[in-house]
Amino acid sequence: MSWPQRIVLLVLGLALLGISLHLIRRRRLREEYGVLWIFTSLGMLALVLMPGALEGAASWLGLDQAGQPGVTMLLMLMGLVFLGAVAVHFSAVITKYANRERDLSQEIALLKDEVMRLRTEQREAPLAPPEPKPRPPALRT
Amino acid sequence: METVAKRRPAKPQEGLEGRRALVVVPATDVAETIWPVLADLRRHAPWADLVVIDNGSSDGTAERARRARVKVLDLPLRLGAGEALQAGFRYALAGSYDLVFQFDARGRHWARRLASLARPILAEEADLVVGSRYLTPRGQRRKGLRILVIRLLARLMTRLIEQRITDPTSGFRAAGRRAIERFAREFPPEHPEPLALVLAWRQGLRVREVPASTRRRRPPLPTIGWWAGLGYVAKVVPAVLMDRLKRPVGVEGEVAR
Repeated sequence: MSWPQRIVLLVLGLALLGISLHLIRRRRLREEYGVLWIFTSLGMLALVLMPGALEGAASWLGLDQAGQPGVTMLLMLMGLVFLGAVAVHFSAVITKYANRERDLSQEIALLKDEVMRLRTEQREAPLAPPEPKPRPPALRT
Repeated sequence: METVAKRRPAKPQEGLEGRRALVVVPATDVAETIWPVLADLRRHAPWADLVVIDNGSSDGTAERARRARVKVLDLPLRLGAGEALQAGFRYALAGSYDLVFQFDARGRHWARRLASLARPILAEEADLVVGSRYLTPRGQRRKGLRILVIRLLARLMTRLIEQRITDPTSGFRAAGRRAIERFAREFPPEHPEPLALVLAWRQGLRVREVPASTRRRRPPLPTIGWWAGLGYVAKVVPAVLMDRLKRPVGVEGEVAR
């Protein structure tokens, strides 16, 4: 892996880590997704620290071309695979929330009906028998 | 509908034997037609309770139905057609109804034909009854793309559930207790008509079609365009096939397919 490549990867990794931590601190990222992105950034930093692993993997996959290790190609490939996996994961997450939205909406509709029923019942219920009122003393002027 | 009103009101459904029936009317922006539909139901199916499911209407459909003194389930968000209908099944389950009818809010169905849907269920011969427009003696002559789409789906369904289905998109249906229990748990979110058939079959429910003509609508339904027809097929066919992959949500103690 060339030095410029390592530097770019380092900067991107650090940026991703920083953004993730920032969003978590601001409560704009749930822990579960925070973990996802922190580990992703740590993975990127790990690649910077051990370029040998990338080069080995590239040759093993047969990505080398003209005697040059195919690290660039491998990085692109990893990025693509990762994005695909994330997209599938988010589809599953969206499905989960859509189902919850359905359940909540149906439940709210049922509760609204219940509230309405109780209200009319209350309105139509005979008033509580009035307390026997002490007759007000007649005013004599 | 004026001609309908002149007929004498139907007698309370015989053979209901204390079983409770609910007519679910899914309604989205149908303020124009909801009153005559509810009047038709009141007159010709007085033995059933009514509930309108307002799926995010913006034209005051819910208010109109309430003014007609009909129960309304007002969904706070617009859900899929199947999800809205499922609210009706959940309502029926909570209210321990034995029969649930699905009825069109735009006046396509005849309230006085509801009894013929209920009969196979009351006779314990079926759990889900579909009123088919194509089993009537004369059959309903329809032309164009709509019929093509329906035929295609009908063939697919017939193959899939190993039972002759002639009208997979009919929304004129009745569900018995077993179907209500299952549909309250799991129901297709979109395009519920064909998908509910597959689901019913998968859960071991007995499906039955009975002849049922529909009311001709004035003005007639706009014919669906090629794109809409293709879109429907493109959405429903994969959904039908995908449905077979799903592990069904079974009712305890029963084995589902």
